[in-house]
Amino acid sequence: MRHLLRPAIGLLAIMLTVTTARAETIRFGAILPLTGPGAMIGTQQMRGIQFAVEKINAAGGVRGNKIEIVFEDNQAKPDQSILSFNKLADLQHLPMIFTAYSGPSLAMAPLATRKKVLLINAGAQADKLATASPYLVNTLPTIGDEIKILSKYLISEGKKQGTILFENDAAGIAGRDDFVKLFPAAGGTILSQEPAQFGQTDYRPALLKLADAKPDVMLVSITAGLLQLAQQYKQLGMTYTVAGTTFFAEPATIADPSSEGFIHTQVRIDAPPELAAEFKAKYGVEMEFFTRQYYNAMQIVVAVTDRLLAEGKPLTGETMHDMLFTIGKFQGLIPLEFKSNTASVPLDINVMKGGKDVTIKQMSSD
Amino acid sequence: MLALQLLCNGIVTGCALGVVAVSFSFVYATTKIFHVAHAGVYTLGGYVAWSMLGHGFPTAVAVLTAIAAATALGALIQGLLYARLERRKATHLVVLIASLGTLAVIQNILAAVYTADILRFNLPWGAEVFRVAGNVRLTMTQLLTVVVSLVAYGGVMWFSNGTILGKQIRAVASNPFLAEITRLQPRRVHIYVMAIASALVCLPGILVPMDFGLQPYNGITPLLTATIAMIAGGVGSITGAFVLAIVITELQNMSLLFIPGEWSIGVTFFIFVIFMLFRPTGLFAAAR
Repeated sequence: MRHLLRPAIGLLAIMLTVTTARAETIRFGAILPLTGPGAMIGTQQMRGIQFAVEKINAAGGVRGNKIEIVFEDNQAKPDQSILSFNKLADLQHLPMIFTAYSGPSLAMAPLATRKKVLLINAGAQADKLATASPYLVNTLPTIGDEIKILSKYLISEGKKQGTILFENDAAGIAGRDDFVKLFPAAGGTILSQEPAQFGQTDYRPALLKLADAKPDVMLVSITAGLLQLAQQYKQLGMTYTVAGTTFFAEPATIADPSSEGFIHTQVRIDAPPELAAEFKAKYGVEMEFFTRQYYNAMQIVVAVTDRLLAEGKPLTGETMHDMLFTIGKFQGLIPLEFKSNTASVPLDINVMKGGKDVTIKQMSSD
Repeated sequence: MLALQLLCNGIVTGCALGVVAVSFSFVYATTKIFHVAHAGVYTLGGYVAWSMLGHGFPTAVAVLTAIAAATALGALIQGLLYARLERRKATHLVVLIASLGTLAVIQNILAAVYTADILRFNLPWGAEVFRVAGNVRLTMTQLLTVVVSLVAYGGVMWFSNGTILGKQIRAVASNPFLAEITRLQPRRVHIYVMAIASALVCLPGILVPMDFGLQPYNGITPLLTATIAMIAGGVGSITGAFVLAIVITELQNMSLLFIPGEWSIGVTFFIFVIFMLFRPTGLFAAAR
């Protein structure tokens, strides 16, 4: 009897340990711009994660484990992002971190590779993000994917003379470079290009200079201040077509009469009406594009975590990375497939009309 | 046509920055404080006006309340912070750091209260477009900015040269020790100066965001240009600060005719570096 007692106690101790471990809170990180000029988007992204986590925890968590997100403010700065990454990876040992903005994500990518921490980006689109690290996973297409589709569409509409207004940062420059390469490849000509600083809202000098080239279309590759640009474009009496990418998904700009006729590619990601209403009741604002993106990204993380726990595997950056590609296909707010580090998603061409964003063509980022 | 439109836009922006430069110069020439927190006062004015308008108050009431709030904040910064540091014999560097800290606090409070979103003034009349000098298109807000800035500049000139308080301020700026002996009470005068400068900077603080939108961190760039205008114009010269702010803005705008936009700021400030090598006291230094 005694020879059975010892293993039984040992087994009980192991079970207790496992049960205790399973009941622990699972912690992930998020390095987002919560202050500074990028805070508008960063706050939307944070709310998307928070909203998803609250709903998951209210429903009992992931296999009984509550989820907690440790937020770090990087002010959209690469150097600050590295400090935050080291803090979350080395001191708090978090296996997965949400990231946003191209510059900061690219800065953290080598560290993610070295420390085997999974970085999930649901907001930045610079082309270099696609190959920056095996541990950097993008849930939306790169700007290059969108520009390619946009360029072909513009040429098919007879818009062959183009100019570019770009934000002088990683995302804006990527948009410019892609348009410079892909628009002529589709049959167009680039006449002129002008930069704008991140957070700047006086676009009149650049708009005037670009208009002087007499273009058919102006590609706008900026991540903030689109409404001000639209209003100044209208006030200056400009008539050429304004085109852009998913960065155009700003409700205030879409609703403003000055944006009438703006064309853009758009990653399709809609929230069910009851979910959007629940979000609005909770936060007092609409569930905007980046909120939906990060809500959706959190669903991916939960699916990966759930599967790892079900298989009794440890929750590390490496196992999460492997499991994400093992699962491959996810159905959150949109169907999403990882054939590479950058997901294939539905992509539309929209035009702003009568205060609404109207889809005129449906495609895929493939 | 492009040149004329760029010229007119430069005048509008230059006039607004001119008032920032004049107000900053007014503070620096009198108190010798590099009042970086002035950018925070500039930003606060816009937010107060935006809040008042959002609550349905008439434009005039919103503007006056914003000016009152900015005036009070400026006086408080001087009375509660700079004056205490002065009494404790703090160095200029310590005061500068305190000013930077104050700016960070103001910006963070504004971001916490109003979020960091770019907020828009909902004033349809402000976006009304007028054609001037042929086919140059300017909005009502832009025209108002020029008129208000010129009136503000004229007002400061009159106040400085034609009123007793203005003359007392100039006396304190000129020789604080003598002013102390002659019972001009420099510390009290410093509070007046800070209050007046804060009220003044509130005008572009409201008008510029009416055109470009409000952001908690958007006071830094105007202050940078204003600082350079003040130095290049000659420290203490109101006209120098105002004129040089317009010149800098015009150089930035008109340079677009010849060079790409990413070079315009660099080229403009390179010209000023060369200029300062030959005239380090500033263009209007003799007019002090």
